Amino acid sequence: MLDLRQLRDQLSDFESHQGDRENRREAQEERARTLLRACHEHWRQVQDAAKAAQPRRLVAEMREPPAATHPAPERPTPITVVATDGSQIYPDRHLEPPFFLLNISQVAFQYGTTEKAHLDATPSLHFREPLADRFGEPLDTIPAELVSALRDEQELRRLLEAATTARVSGRPLVALADGTLIRWMIRGMDNDALESTLIARYTQFLDGFREEGRALASYVSLPASTEIVNLLRFVGGDLAAAPPDLPTRAPDAPRLDGLLDRHVLALILGPGERSAVFGSASHIQAEYPTGTDIAFFYLRVPGPGGGELGRVEVPRWVADDAALLDRVHATVLHECRKGEGYPLALSEAHERAVVRASEREAFYRLMERRLRRAGLEPTGSRKRRSKQRPRV
Amino acid sequence: MNDTALGEVIEATTRQFVAEVYEEADAPNFGAWVRVEPDGAPPLFGLVSHVETGSYDSNRQAVALGLSPEERAQEMPMVDELLRTTVRVQMLACEGPGGDLRQTLPPQPPGIHDFVAPCTEAQVRRIGAPFDYLRTLVEHPDPAVPVDDLLVAVLRRTYAAHGGENGGREPLVQAGRALSRLLDDDHERLQSILRRVL
Repeated sequence: MLDLRQLRDQLSDFESHQGDRENRREAQEERARTLLRACHEHWRQVQDAAKAAQPRRLVAEMREPPAATHPAPERPTPITVVATDGSQIYPDRHLEPPFFLLNISQVAFQYGTTEKAHLDATPSLHFREPLADRFGEPLDTIPAELVSALRDEQELRRLLEAATTARVSGRPLVALADGTLIRWMIRGMDNDALESTLIARYTQFLDGFREEGRALASYVSLPASTEIVNLLRFVGGDLAAAPPDLPTRAPDAPRLDGLLDRHVLALILGPGERSAVFGSASHIQAEYPTGTDIAFFYLRVPGPGGGELGRVEVPRWVADDAALLDRVHATVLHECRKGEGYPLALSEAHERAVVRASEREAFYRLMERRLRRAGLEPTGSRKRRSKQRPRV
Repeated sequence: MNDTALGEVIEATTRQFVAEVYEEADAPNFGAWVRVEPDGAPPLFGLVSHVETGSYDSNRQAVALGLSPEERAQEMPMVDELLRTTVRVQMLACEGPGGDLRQTLPPQPPGIHDFVAPCTEAQVRRIGAPFDYLRTLVEHPDPAVPVDDLLVAVLRRTYAAHGGENGGREPLVQAGRALSRLLDDDHERLQSILRRVL
């Protein structure tokens, strides 16, 4: 139970905190704007300085002047757009026997034609995961991160499959993934061999896209990245590394803590425009095969209140090909317009992949019934049930 | 059965069932007779009392898109995939073990996923005099359905199955008489129903 009366004073405090924060944000944005301009004018010099100084934070790599903006080109029509998404039932330590479940969706739309849409989802039950040996732990203690990593891998595998099966000769195609293509979350499992295996398994599918030269992109909604902000911090001398010596001076304060890349690019991007393309400096990419490293740009998705900024990630072969880049830009923008702020194909893929609470329950019931019929009493089910519906 | 099936039972009681209509099939009309042949049990007959088209997913609602049908098909191809038509059918007759037709509720509901098919003209003619099913319809109507409109529809169907102008009048008169008794000689109501039949 939540007693709202007790929160009154805390809410007043929260209000004044928010006010201070907004004032600070305005000052931060003003400084960021000045630094971005300086960086834009002397971008090659800044890039060389960053390479030499090797700041410890992840600093976006520039491939063109960073404040460049590009209007949206026309989306080609007809065009094939494929997307996948996934969801999971994580292993439950209260349940015996241990397992986890992945549900991966696949959608393919042939826009500009009246060909039928393809929408489906394939569930898979994992209880003999070979990775468990490598992980060196019983399956029931497998952390959520590993299940998520396997899910991401399956999403990319199914996306590559869709890009192959839905392709129509002579018709352009864009394959859309949800979230990031940079597997930074794999780090931190404290198991180098497993991390390498997972990255190799993931990037083999990236390579599959590269071999066919397919337009692959992923969309990050409300991104929290700070690689461009770190670049500005470097230029402004906020990082431990020596800043470049530029002829233009920017104010030294305030520090840019809490500012995100999307806040900075929101200052310069008009509706539908995309930013310059940046290279990601994420360390995990050192393990990606040559030519599959990830670049990104920001896109202002039109909407109420000026819309929002999404981050679109593309592998190098897309970033290097102006026609593919234009196709991705136009398609993602078109998708976001139709999906009211989020790519339509991805939101349909999400709807197909999601396992609702009632469906999860139905699955548990089915599994328990099957085990019981086979004379194998599942344990722990009672605890699970009592957690769901507290009794009076 | 499979060839003529228009859909499958997705909810069932002994009084009524709901069937989902196959995407490629035409939805049956309001007031049409349909039959279900449960596995190993005699056929059941019911009257379509409600036809509904909407979103597949109770969490998602259809919204106005402002697109022409062609634009919709080209740019929002998933919309058609997300819509479905369901029909609610009032159970009114069943076959006995000897093949005789009983105008009463069946002893068991149909099974979920049993096939639903439209009744043939001969089957509609068979569900005729003494029109006992009209009593079930009038005395225990589905509260969500305007019963007089359903009566109009079912009488039109009976009339048509008997050949319309060439033979449909006689069974219609018989049904009218049965209805008159059921409506306690409420002539105004009976007239309003019969006026709309022909």
